[in-house]
Amino acid sequence: MFDLLQEYIDQDRIRLDRTIHTGRTTYHDPCNYGRRSQQLFGHGYFEEGRAITRACCPDFVDMQPPGADNYCCGAGGGLWSMPYAAERVFHGRLKARQIRETGARLVIAPCHNCRDQILRSLNREYELDIEVKYLWQLVADSLAGPS
Amino acid sequence: MTYTFRVSALAAEFGVHRNTIRNWIRNGSLPARPGPGRQYVMEWEAYRALCERYGRSPRPGTDRVKDPAMLQQMAGKADLPPVFLGRRSPTFTESPAWIESCLACGSCAAACPISGVDGLDPCRIIRMALLDLEEELLATDWPWKCTLCGRCEESCPMAVGIVGFMRHIRSLRDRERVPGPIHSGVTTCLERGNNLGIPEQDFLALLDDLGRELALSCPGFTVPVDRYGARLLVTINSKEPFTEPDSMKWWWRIFHEAGESWTIASSNWEGVNWGFFSGDDEAMRTIVGRMVDNLQRLNCSALLLPE
Ligand code: SF4
Ligand code: SF4
Repeated sequence: MFDLLQEYIDQDRIRLDRTIHTGRTTYHDPCNYGRRSQQLFGHGYFEEGRAITRACCPDFVDMQPPGADNYCCGAGGGLWSMPYAAERVFHGRLKARQIRETGARLVIAPCHNCRDQILRSLNREYELDIEVKYLWQLVADSLAGPS
Repeated sequence: MTYTFRVSALAAEFGVHRNTIRNWIRNGSLPARPGPGRQYVMEWEAYRALCERYGRSPRPGTDRVKDPAMLQQMAGKADLPPVFLGRRSPTFTESPAWIESCLACGSCAAACPISGVDGLDPCRIIRMALLDLEEELLATDWPWKCTLCGRCEESCPMAVGIVGFMRHIRSLRDRERVPGPIHSGVTTCLERGNNLGIPEQDFLALLDDLGRELALSCPGFTVPVDRYGARLLVTINSKEPFTEPDSMKWWWRIFHEAGESWTIASSNWEGVNWGFFSGDDEAMRTIVGRMVDNLQRLNCSALLLPE
């Protein structure tokens, strides 16, 4: 996914309009694309998603801690579909705090599961009042059309 | 058995001069050979014969490692029944997670965002496994409340494969007792090609409708189903056609803009492998195998798993 989007950008096959998402934006590192990928395949996708997000959003701020130390959204491991809602929301308290501290109005999540947890659960439970987009949704919404 | 001595000590023992001992060694009447640290070694029999010749008794204890009376006394104190060590159950140790190298340092427990929830704690889980508290561990819901996020593993100084191990414990759960719908999703996927059991006809009709809608803003757009030779095979998260079909259009708009050669398979298009979460390796393999089949059948060169 990251390699594909980056390829389109690098080869100028898509052009991104940076005037659409001007609000403060942050990026969530999904555990499987980052830590897990690093463990299993020797490469963690940390920087790629940020680079693509930055290419769309001029006001980008990282959560603390970012990258390999980042917190799980709380719904990993299939928890989004399991009957442990209290544990899932409790786990997500750290993610909610991280998001709040960035002051971002838009959170980019490159994973279905994380996006659902942040948008549909944490946003409400912790009154974050944020917008959440998939990475590819951000790119699609930033398409500038042919030059 | 041997008798080890210094020349001076043996000379004192037998009341002769040191040089006498040295002469005996040199002319072979005392069959001793040089040993470590300026000592000499001879067979215990030779020492006994020397004692006999000089009418002396061997120094006490030199004919044995320990005095029998003392051994008797010690054995009496250690009067234990035979102890069988038993073997660690292979249930946990067969997992290649290196749990045996755990130091019990607790770093993982400190790094885990839900340590303490219902007594869950990765360090405790590893220790219980090592102590063979198998039944107790399998009875908990801890591995299901853990999100497999890997923060524990990241902090572990011994690189214990904690996440893989959690998943291994999940795999030991009776399939009927897997929490929530993930196991039934796996079963549905195996039977009907996607986790939610969406029939092929409905799926294809939906793609067609959505494609037409998108063509209004992207002239000439159609959804390429089963297009042989496309570069990219795109899998779908079944929740999208089921609950938010319009969200599939984001990728499609990008493909259209980038002039990508892509396709969706008409069957077995599911991109979410719930066997990963339920700890079902067999199902996971089957589902991955189907993706590979689609890649080969349609002669695609890359796979997109937007999950
Ligand atoms: S993988 Fe599980 S045990 Fe480890 S830190 Fe995450 S939630 Fe805790
Ligand atoms: S961090 Fe590693 S070594 Fe330390 S207790 Fe946890 S598993 Fe054991």
